[in-house]
Amino acid sequence: MIKQTSLRKKNNHVVWKQELGSWLVMLPGILLFVFFIWEPLLEAIRLSLYEANGMRIVRFVGLDNYRSVLTQPDFLPALQNTFSYLIWSLIIGFLIPIFLAIFIQESRCGKSLYRTAVYLPNIVPSLATVFLWRYIFRSDGTGALNMLLSVFGVAPQDWLNNVSRVIPLIVIAMTWKGAGATTLLYLAGLQSIDPELFEAAIIDGANVKQRIFHITVPQIYNLARTLLILQVISVFQILYEPLVMTNGGPNNASVSLMQLVFRYAFEKYDYSRASAVSVLISIALIALTLFYNKVNKEKDM
Amino acid sequence: MKKLIAIMLTLCLCMTTCLAFAETTLKLGIYPEDVDTAAIESHETYISIFNETYPDVALERAQYKYATDTFVPLAEAGTLPTIFETWFTEPQKLIKGEFVADVTDQMEARGWLEKMNPSIRTLLSSDDGRLYGVPRDGYALGLMINVEVFEDAGLVDENGVPLYPKTWEELAEVSVKIKEATGSAGLCLLAKDNAGGWHFSNIAWCFGAVFQVQGEDGKWTAQLNTPEVVAAMEYVKDLKWKYDVLTSDPTSEDWGTGFTQLGTGAAAMYIAANDAVSQPTDNNGLAVDKLMMAGIPAGPAGAYSLFGGTPYMLSKTATAEEIDAALNYLEIMGKAPVLTETAKAGLAEDARYRKDNGIPVINEFPVWADDELVAARREVVAEYSNVDPALFDPYFDAVASEGNLKMEEPQITQDMYALLTNVLQAVVTDEAAAIQTLLDEADANFQTMLDEQINK
Amino acid sequence: MKNNDYVGAVRPYDLRRPSVKVGYTIMTILCIFAVLLAIMPVVWVILAGFKELKEFNRGVKAADNHYYLQFLPVSFSLDGYLETWNQMKYLRYYMNSFIVVVGSTICAVLFNGLLAYGLSHLKPRGWKVIYALIMGSLMIPATTSIVPLFINITKLGLSGSFVPLFLSAGASAFYVVMFKNFYDAMPKSLLEAAKLDGCGNMNMFFKIVLPLSMPINMVIVIYAVNAAWSDFLLPYLVLGGTKMETVMVRLFTYRTSNRVNNMDIIRAIVFSIIPPILLFIAFQRQITQNVVSSGIKG
Repeated sequence: MIKQTSLRKKNNHVVWKQELGSWLVMLPGILLFVFFIWEPLLEAIRLSLYEANGMRIVRFVGLDNYRSVLTQPDFLPALQNTFSYLIWSLIIGFLIPIFLAIFIQESRCGKSLYRTAVYLPNIVPSLATVFLWRYIFRSDGTGALNMLLSVFGVAPQDWLNNVSRVIPLIVIAMTWKGAGATTLLYLAGLQSIDPELFEAAIIDGANVKQRIFHITVPQIYNLARTLLILQVISVFQILYEPLVMTNGGPNNASVSLMQLVFRYAFEKYDYSRASAVSVLISIALIALTLFYNKVNKEKDM
Repeated sequence: MKKLIAIMLTLCLCMTTCLAFAETTLKLGIYPEDVDTAAIESHETYISIFNETYPDVALERAQYKYATDTFVPLAEAGTLPTIFETWFTEPQKLIKGEFVADVTDQMEARGWLEKMNPSIRTLLSSDDGRLYGVPRDGYALGLMINVEVFEDAGLVDENGVPLYPKTWEELAEVSVKIKEATGSAGLCLLAKDNAGGWHFSNIAWCFGAVFQVQGEDGKWTAQLNTPEVVAAMEYVKDLKWKYDVLTSDPTSEDWGTGFTQLGTGAAAMYIAANDAVSQPTDNNGLAVDKLMMAGIPAGPAGAYSLFGGTPYMLSKTATAEEIDAALNYLEIMGKAPVLTETAKAGLAEDARYRKDNGIPVINEFPVWADDELVAARREVVAEYSNVDPALFDPYFDAVASEGNLKMEEPQITQDMYALLTNVLQAVVTDEAAAIQTLLDEADANFQTMLDEQINK
Repeated sequence: MKNNDYVGAVRPYDLRRPSVKVGYTIMTILCIFAVLLAIMPVVWVILAGFKELKEFNRGVKAADNHYYLQFLPVSFSLDGYLETWNQMKYLRYYMNSFIVVVGSTICAVLFNGLLAYGLSHLKPRGWKVIYALIMGSLMIPATTSIVPLFINITKLGLSGSFVPLFLSAGASAFYVVMFKNFYDAMPKSLLEAAKLDGCGNMNMFFKIVLPLSMPINMVIVIYAVNAAWSDFLLPYLVLGGTKMETVMVRLFTYRTSNRVNNMDIIRAIVFSIIPPILLFIAFQRQITQNVVSSGIKG
């Protein structure tokens, strides 16, 4: 770094020109980010501090919107549900791809069939996915799952209208769509293992279990860490799954934080409070990510 | 290259001149969805009449289906159509958010204002009495009945008219019989979204509930946990757990799926209004002569029907001329208190469309006090009639009876419905749900909302 | 069996041990189960699309006046599908979706690639700020900012055109991060050599960086095609009510339409998944291989 700076000083003019050239390369992309993401975001943050009609600002109210959303009756259930979503998506959504990847990697035949099949749901559009699973989890005889059970003589079961089942079921639908892509990412990690490592371990007399735990798992450890934080971020932003499948019910058992945003913005037309909830979610996620990175760094040291 | 530039310049010039002499443009949001070929045909007829009568108004087919998640962006960006149809739940929200145009002056000048049903006018007016919408039609909730299911269950009189329930107790008994005989649910109860609370409030009125009252100091008090509300909720609970006559998952039923259940006969009865008769029939396959409507069953405190109106509203950005053009279009459609030849043709066109598509042609709920118009409508209905009046008389008799019609609870109604829906969801998914506790909570929450938003 | 299949922890001779053999069998069963689980919902929805509304919602009437639901449709007549297809004018929506997909994909690779190239190799002073902002926008839900965004689009007069949809694919934090990770791992020597030859920044990107990053380009193309095909909220706002609506916009509007019933929705789901499935079948090797060969380096 020091060396670079001193170099730059020597050749100020040339460097300046170079810098400008580099910024020019990035300019189109940056402009698009400004236009599509950052400016609208600033607008939304600003709105959270005002009372407004639609997007038309009425007056500055400071943190009143924040106070109001935090005391709203649906906020606490939504917050609790978010943790419930988090736990279930760690149990189901995070672990399944890891297991699947190891399984597929260890399989002797059918590898490419497995790979293709598990990736297939990934290409089903997300909106189609939630509609589809809503039909599958219908609690009367028309639900595909109940129809399947009836083949085995099981009476129709309650699914999405069962308070204790609803979140795991929504997570299953999400996992169905997402697991394939993640599995392939893990597979990529696994394929880069040098087979010699296994040979060496075999010569050392390691059994299958030891080989998997000491060679396979460490290989994908870092990748899993990255995917974990991405998963947490996406869980905080769950919206259309509960919205379409349950509308947050029964009795708020599946309402998510983002759904509060949706309800404020798109049902009550109260964009100020919607923005306030959005900002709260963002703060929570940024804090969580920073904390997580810090812990990881300490661990790595 | 020169040629290109020349063309471009001419184009630019054209555009600026166009803008300079901008004529009135009517962006017609109420143009039907392109699924609806038959309705498009009707509207094309209206449009050709309109173009002939008002040649200086440009008409744009700007089909817009009102949806809450797209409305504000369009309104804020100024791309809303001039006139659009919205849901009966929305007017007050749109008025308070200043998204819609004040049409009082134009309506006054036409003399339509005095003719409007005063209750419906209140629904479409701001607190200071300005009017912001034109009613498409009025509605009152009733009990829709699938005649086929009643026939299968053997519950019809000698004329083939279903032996429909007249009280909520009877409804439970009839439902049990239906379930035994056909396997179909007796009633499709809604508990997915606010429509659940909406229907429930009507049921609870029959049990004597009054959900909100205004004190002498002008402040509103929530009454979501009175014995009457509890009784109504206990009744719903019994429908689910004692009689087991609801569809298997009320929490997945909303306004639209309810009609599917009724239309396909998976449920025998459903609370719905007269303006939605196309839903079970045309849209969900029930034969036109197999639909019946009766009044809302009576409870210990009497029988009441919630009534209101489905409105047309106009974009905030609409100019006076554009508002006038939109009202002219409504006149052609026969949706205004004006009985011209074109309006008569519009009424007949609508009836023809209904008849051709297997939708019951029945009397409308009058939103305009205009005897001539009402008479002309009756005439058209008689001419195009495609149903047995005996199947709809119970409904019209009920809503015509003294004191039956009741307006929605006035204050932040959607929030109240949301809270009631939550309680409903708990009650229909948990046999052990403690109704009093749940309603106490809902009541406290609603009081907080009232204090925060209304009793300021 | 090819030799390169023996890459895992389990070797053929391990299978002679009963415990390993049992484990391996369970594993295979689970894999087959996963395959079925992945495919069955899609098969189910296609089959369900053949049913009539009453058949779907209530079942088929039996002698005892009760209705019984069946897994398979009564008839495999295509009439239902054809009716929905014609009624909904799907051909046009397919064309629109196709245009959006092509335009968005090009923008996704071009703009995000250029930006990542700058962040990865050029690194002008202050690049870290931009990178931090990009990383940050990964964490921020975009739902509320859709309104100010749409207002901006309308102010520029771009409402009712495909352009904003194309360009919006050019601002994806996720793609930038993916590109940057890949570029970071590229051998510097190649670029240095080109630089010495007097190759300009843009030239370098188009002649060297882009062609050398085919694997990541493929991955982004796959993601971008998928995303552009699946997106609905912004497309609805920008294109709604025009003749330019896409297939997903149609499905989205069905939620609130009171002119469609369950069967229309089911068939619309099928129509929205058929093109991606065909594409996937045609390119499945490239798709699965490429994602595999260039996953995020942890």
